[in-house]
Amino acid sequence: MPHADVVVIGAGLAGLTAAARLAEAGAAVTLVAKGHASTHWGAGGIDVAQPDGARTPAEGVARLAALDAHPYAFLGGDVEPAVAWLTKHLAASGLPYVGTLETPIRRVPTAIGGTRRVAIVPDAQSAALAPWEPDEILVVAGPAGYKDFWPAAIADSLARESVWQGADRPTRVVGVAVELAGLASRNNLNALELARRFDDPALRADDLDRIARAVARVSGGRRGRVALPAVFGLDGHAETWAETRARLPLRPFEVPLVPPSIPGIRLWRALRGRIRAAGGRIEVGEMVARIEVEHGRVIAVEMEAATRSHRIRTDAVVLATGGIAGGGLVATGEGELVEPLLGLTVDAPAFDDWLLREALDPAGHPLEAAGVRTDHGLHPLDPATGRAALANVLVAGAMLAGQRALRERCGDGVAIASGWRAAQELLPDTTRTPVGQGPLATRIES
Amino acid sequence: MTIADIIREAALDPHVSSSADECLKCNVCNTVCPVLRVTDLFAGPKYEGPQAQRFRMAGGQQIQGPASTHVASPDHSVDYCSGCGWCTTACPAGVKIAEMNNQARGRLREGKRPKLRDWGLGQTDLTGSLGVAFSPLANFVMANGPIRALIEATIGIHRKAPVPKWAKRSFRSTWKRRGGETGASASLPGPDKAIVFFHGCAANYYEPHVAEAAVAVLKRNGFETIVPEQVCCGLPLISNGLYDEARERACTNTKVLAGYARAGYRIIGTSTSCTHTFKAEYEEMLDLHDDDTKVVAGATWDICEFLLDLHDQGRLDTGFGRLDEDLPYHAPCQLRSHGIGLPALDLFALVPGLRATDMDHDCCGIAGTYGLKREKYDIAMKVGAPLFEKVKASGATTAACDSETCRWQIEVATGVRTRHPVEILFDAYAAGDAAR
Repeated sequence: MPHADVVVIGAGLAGLTAAARLAEAGAAVTLVAKGHASTHWGAGGIDVAQPDGARTPAEGVARLAALDAHPYAFLGGDVEPAVAWLTKHLAASGLPYVGTLETPIRRVPTAIGGTRRVAIVPDAQSAALAPWEPDEILVVAGPAGYKDFWPAAIADSLARESVWQGADRPTRVVGVAVELAGLASRNNLNALELARRFDDPALRADDLDRIARAVARVSGGRRGRVALPAVFGLDGHAETWAETRARLPLRPFEVPLVPPSIPGIRLWRALRGRIRAAGGRIEVGEMVARIEVEHGRVIAVEMEAATRSHRIRTDAVVLATGGIAGGGLVATGEGELVEPLLGLTVDAPAFDDWLLREALDPAGHPLEAAGVRTDHGLHPLDPATGRAALANVLVAGAMLAGQRALRERCGDGVAIASGWRAAQELLPDTTRTPVGQGPLATRIES
Repeated sequence: MTIADIIREAALDPHVSSSADECLKCNVCNTVCPVLRVTDLFAGPKYEGPQAQRFRMAGGQQIQGPASTHVASPDHSVDYCSGCGWCTTACPAGVKIAEMNNQARGRLREGKRPKLRDWGLGQTDLTGSLGVAFSPLANFVMANGPIRALIEATIGIHRKAPVPKWAKRSFRSTWKRRGGETGASASLPGPDKAIVFFHGCAANYYEPHVAEAAVAVLKRNGFETIVPEQVCCGLPLISNGLYDEARERACTNTKVLAGYARAGYRIIGTSTSCTHTFKAEYEEMLDLHDDDTKVVAGATWDICEFLLDLHDQGRLDTGFGRLDEDLPYHAPCQLRSHGIGLPALDLFALVPGLRATDMDHDCCGIAGTYGLKREKYDIAMKVGAPLFEKVKASGATTAACDSETCRWQIEVATGVRTRHPVEILFDAYAAGDAAR
C-alpha cells in the first residue's frame, strides 16, 4: 500500500490549492477525487467576497469576517497571501490573472447578456474590468451557429440600461456573428471543439482574420472593446490570446460560458501541472469509500476499486470534498445533512426549515450556510467537547460552515484561503509556530 | 413507499443503464474523451451515453425484444466509442458512461450476424493457436504489404495496424514440456507459496517472454506458479459485441479458477485488461452474478498490484541492480479502470538508476482491437500521436506499458521497444545478481 504524507480529497479549488502548496514545499501529497469538480463548471475567475455594498474584495472580506460564524472570521487574514501565492503560480504556468483584493468590483457582461460582479479574473477576461469611456462601443462577436453564445441577443440585452444596474456602460452595443470556415454545417458545436480549433495555428489565423474584419466593419472605426466567447485556446491559450489581441482592431475580452468552462479547464490544467511537476500525485476517478481512523487519527484512505479497495496510508487528510453540490455533504431522506466519509458533525438547519415558502427567496436559503465547523486550524470540531474531533484531518472549501457562497460570492476565496491554510498548518514553518509536527515535519526538514 | 424511499433506492441502484439518471449534463465527460478530441464521427460520451440512453430505456427498464436500430441507439455513431473509460473516470456524478456505451454497442449488433472481422478479432485463442502452429508462414503473411492490403480490402483490418508476431511456441506448451505445474499434482504448494497465473492470449501466443519474466519474478519472491487450464478472458468478444460467446469463455474460466480462489490462491495476470475483465466486466458487462464469478473477481490481481502489495508488507525482494536508463511509461486505460493507482511506477522507483517517467497521456489509441479496424485506424493514430511524440522525444530506447495491445501500438508507432513492467523488474534482478 502506498504512503503519502498528506492525502487531499477533492479536485476543486480548495483541494488543488492545498495539494499545490504541499507539493511545492516537498511533501509527498496525493490528491484523489471521484471526478472533475468545480473548475469545470465555474467561470474561471476568483470570487473572493462580494457581499452587498462592498466596493473591493478586501472590503467584502472585512464585512464577512465580522460575522462570527463565517469562515473569514478566522481565515480572513489568509485570503490575501493565499490568492497572491496562487496567482503567482498560475502566471508562472502561462495563465496570468488580473486584479487583487484592492481592485474595485465591477460589472462585466455575461453570455446571456446580463452582467455579473467581478474583481479578480484571468487576463483574457480583464479588458472588461476597465471603466467604460463615454464614446466606447462594445462589439459582441462570436462564431455563427454556436448555440451557447448569440451575439445579437447578447448585444440587444446589453444595450439596455437596466442590465448594468447603475454602473457605467458602453454607449453603443452591436452584435456580429462571424462565419468561420467549415463550421456552417455543424449542428453541435461546443466550447471545447472551438477551443481546440483555436489551438491550431493555421485555423486560428483564418478565424482571427474573419473576426477582425467583421469587428472592423461593425465598429466603423470607433473606439471600444470586443466581447468574445471564452474559447480562445486550451493548451495553446497564451499564444492564441496574444495573437487575438494583436489581430483585432478593438481590445478583446473573453466571456465565460456554460459548462464545460474553458477558463476553468485552463485553471485545472495549470494547477494539475504545478502539482505533478512538484512530485505530487493526482488520481481522478477514484471514489473514497472509507477513511480509516485509529486512536483519533486518520491512518489510511481507501478508494473504491475493481474488487478490492485501493488503500493509501497517510499522516494527514485534507477534506475538500465540497458542500451539498459537490457531494461532500449528503442529504438523507430523513432530513439529515451528513458528512459521509468521517461522519463529521454537520451544522445544519432543522428539516422543517429546508422547504421555504418563496422559491429563490432573496434572503437566501438556510441550507446555504450549513457545513462543518472547525477550529482556527481547520480541524473539524466535536460539538460534545468543543475540541478537534480528529487530530490530523483538516477541512477546506465549500464544506466549511457559515458561508453563503451564492450571495456572498465568497466560494473561490474561501476555497483558496482554506486550502492554503490547511497546507500551512501541515507544513513546518519557521516563520510561525509550527502546528503540524508529525512525521511530515521531520521528513521535510531532513 | 415514501418519496425518501424512492430517492434512496434510486441512489443505491447499481445498474449501469439507470445511472444515466444521475447525469447533470455538465459535459465534463466530453472534455476528457480522446476520440472526440480527434474526430467528428463520434458525438462524444455525453450524447452517446446518458443522452441517448433515454431512447434505450422505457419505464426504467432497458427496452427488450428484437433490437431494431432505433431502439438500441439513435444512430450508429456509438460504434466509434473506443471503450477507453475516461468518461466514467471524469464524471463527477457517477454515471457509468463507458459501460453504457459498451452495452449499446453490443445491442446494436444483437441478433445480427457479426462482421467476419469483428467475429475474428474476438477469436483470440483460435487466431493465436493457428498462428503459433504456422508461425513462420503466419508472420510472413502478416508482414507482407500486398497481402495486408488484401486483408484490409476484404476483411477490414488496416494494413498498417500493429499486429504482433506469433511466438514459435506457446507459453503453455513450453510450460507443459518443462513439466511446469498445471494444477494436476497430487500435492500442490499452498496458497502462501504459490499463485495461479492467468497468461491470457498475449503472453501465451505472442509474448511468452512476458509470462516467463513473471514466473521468474514471482519465484524470486517465494511464489511457485500454477498454470491451470484456461481460455481467452473474453474481452475481445465483449469489445466486438459478442456477449454470448464472451459468457461461454467467462464460465469456462471461472469454473476452473473459482476452485483455486476458494482455496485461497491468488489469480495473477500480466495482462491488465484480462485481470480487469475478471475483476469487473464479467459482472458489469456480461451480467454474471454467480458465486464463481464473484470469488474469481475477488482473488484476481494485476501483477504489479500484487508485487507492490508484497512490498508494502515488507516481503518484496528488493535486490534490484542498477538500470541506468530513461524509461518512458504509459499507463493504459484498462489499468486506470482497476482504480489501483500506478503500481508499476512505484515499483520502478525501487530500481536504482532507473528514470521512469509517466508520459501523462490519456490513450495510445488502440483500445484493444479498435485501432486495428480499417475505419478506425486513423482515429487511433491521432489519439495516440502526442504520446508517440513524447516517447520519441524522450530519446529512450525502451518504453514500458502494462497492456499488450498498447505496447504493440507504441512500438510500431515510435520504433521504441516497449516492454511489460515485469520484464524491466526481471532485468533489474538480473543486474543485481550480476553485480554480486
